Amino acid sequence: MKLLLAEKPLQSARTVSVQRATAERAFAVRHFELLLSACVVLILLLIVLHIAVGTLDFSMRQIVLALANQPEEVLHRQVVWGLRLPRALVALAAGGMLGLSGALLQTITRNPMAEPGLMGVSSGAVLAIVIFIVVGANGAIGEAADVGLSLPLVGMVGGLAEGLLVYALSYKRGIVSGADPMRLVLVGVLVAGVTSALTSVVLLTANENLMMRIVYWTIGSTSGRVWVHWHTIWPIALLAILLGILSIGWANALQLGDSVARGLGVHVERVRLGLLAISALLTAGAVAVVGPVGFIGLIGPHAARMVAGGDVRRLFPLSIVFTAVLLIASDIVARTITIGWVGLMTGLDVPDTAGLPVGAVTALLGAPFFLFLLLKGRTAL
Amino acid sequence: MSQANGTGNNVLKADAVSVGYTDRPVIEALSLSIKVGQITALVGPNGSGKSTLLKAMARLLPLSAGAVYLDGKAITKLPSAQIAREMAILPQGPSAPHSLTVAELVEQGRFPHVGALHMLRHQDHEAVRQALQLTNMTEFAHRPLDALSGGERQRAWIALTLAQSAPLLLLDEPTTFLDIGHQLEVLKLVRRLNEEQKMTIVLVLHDLNQAARYSQRMVVLQRGAIVADGAPADVLTQNLLGNVFSVQANIVTDPVSGTPVCLPYDTVSVMALNKNLTM
Repeated sequence: MKLLLAEKPLQSARTVSVQRATAERAFAVRHFELLLSACVVLILLLIVLHIAVGTLDFSMRQIVLALANQPEEVLHRQVVWGLRLPRALVALAAGGMLGLSGALLQTITRNPMAEPGLMGVSSGAVLAIVIFIVVGANGAIGEAADVGLSLPLVGMVGGLAEGLLVYALSYKRGIVSGADPMRLVLVGVLVAGVTSALTSVVLLTANENLMMRIVYWTIGSTSGRVWVHWHTIWPIALLAILLGILSIGWANALQLGDSVARGLGVHVERVRLGLLAISALLTAGAVAVVGPVGFIGLIGPHAARMVAGGDVRRLFPLSIVFTAVLLIASDIVARTITIGWVGLMTGLDVPDTAGLPVGAVTALLGAPFFLFLLLKGRTAL
Repeated sequence: MSQANGTGNNVLKADAVSVGYTDRPVIEALSLSIKVGQITALVGPNGSGKSTLLKAMARLLPLSAGAVYLDGKAITKLPSAQIAREMAILPQGPSAPHSLTVAELVEQGRFPHVGALHMLRHQDHEAVRQALQLTNMTEFAHRPLDALSGGERQRAWIALTLAQSAPLLLLDEPTTFLDIGHQLEVLKLVRRLNEEQKMTIVLVLHDLNQAARYSQRMVVLQRGAIVADGAPADVLTQNLLGNVFSVQANIVTDPVSGTPVCLPYDTVSVMALNKNLTM
């Protein structure tokens, strides 16, 4: 009798919980396409804002007219199309690339601390670029190096070479041969450490004129990025982001662990190498053009994971747009806080035109933000 | 569900399989045939090679010698995805990202059917729905894995393997780290899958009495070799417990299930060793 009585509420409790289970799906999951579209619109607005901020003051109306190729003055067109639009586009591409790279590495290593520089790609690119600037300045290459295609290409080669080195050093022979993700993280940290030290050594040999340029390269900046940089970055961004999106199915299986993935029919070693190569390409491409902008490749994917969960089908696209938003917004902040203002605060004599490097802003704002998330206990760490 | 053609009743066969480094093999020249429609339990002391054998049969570990045949074909010759459509394996202690939901996890079970580049089709969603239903996980479908109890989480992982729609299921210690109630829940599910879905199941178990109760065949391993193989009532003897597990035990018959139950009351060698040492 008692049992019979107990049966009924149990039954209704179950139907209720089924209904609740459907409602339990996070808002961001149910309306994922909407969220993604909203981010794209936000990016477009931020790009216009990004273009508006600078040493020469323009009104929004002037910017929009210039973008629509109907400028009030020729100067507007020259500044907007010649200088500011490519800079904003480079920031957009670099942000998306670093975001996807971070998300890829966090998925492959199943480590929430993984970031685009994990495989030593960033530090390798920076070292190559710094050596090139210093050696070039002593030789014949000189000032032109910063403008042309050579610097990004040197950065790409340096970054990819160091990524390959880290993979090779992590490779372990055993019953199951391969680069175990834990080893990869450790080897990556160590190799990046050595490379950064080498960069400092090279920095010491540089003369004062070069020092400022090199420092900008080691922090990450969008200053002076023009169409030639955009033409370097977009083919790599297009290719690597496309490959990254196509690899979502594999990444999703791989994040369940090697054994489960193998049981599902994934060739774990081959797939991991492929995904690492894509992430290395993304990082190298971005760092070679804007330098190692810190933290956004860590925070963007984390924010995406908090909002839309761990399924890579949502994580990867959202990491791209979130991190692009972060980089463009940080760059706007960096340009608004002009060096003149910083100079006033610190009493240092710094050129007024340069603007704060965006890497400094992402580190200044990004690191505390990340710490805040940690202390709030909301991240899945 | 496919049948084992041409190989009699043996759906999965390990033939003189060795795993490990050539100078230090974990299992050596070991042969075992899994019969279709049966629940086979692999038991043995720690380090006996039971998990290694299971992983080798599931192509999770490469063989240093010998071969494994699935439906009569060498698994090294079959595409990995095709194997995954015939045979599902749940490794020991699997882990997924915390924020992944049950449904998102179980959908990954369709990977061998869909491939990496395609979207889930109608039949895939249907397979996922069935897997959730069989494991009673439908109501938890949209809950993140870290919001589940240990037993529920294990059921979610089993649902992942069921979504593969493979007639053969391999489970590596599916009851480890679960309390007794959740252990029985998982084992009852295993039996139900065997009886109702006609699945062939091979599982590694630690608890001899549970193995005796829920399997039709017990295979006992010791130091990388099979030392006993047969119906639980024939395998679970005082002699075997003494030789393989170094325990002295009484064997009684479970009044409910009629299966043998061992009641260990003393260890063999360790006690003897201690005696020798104190003397």
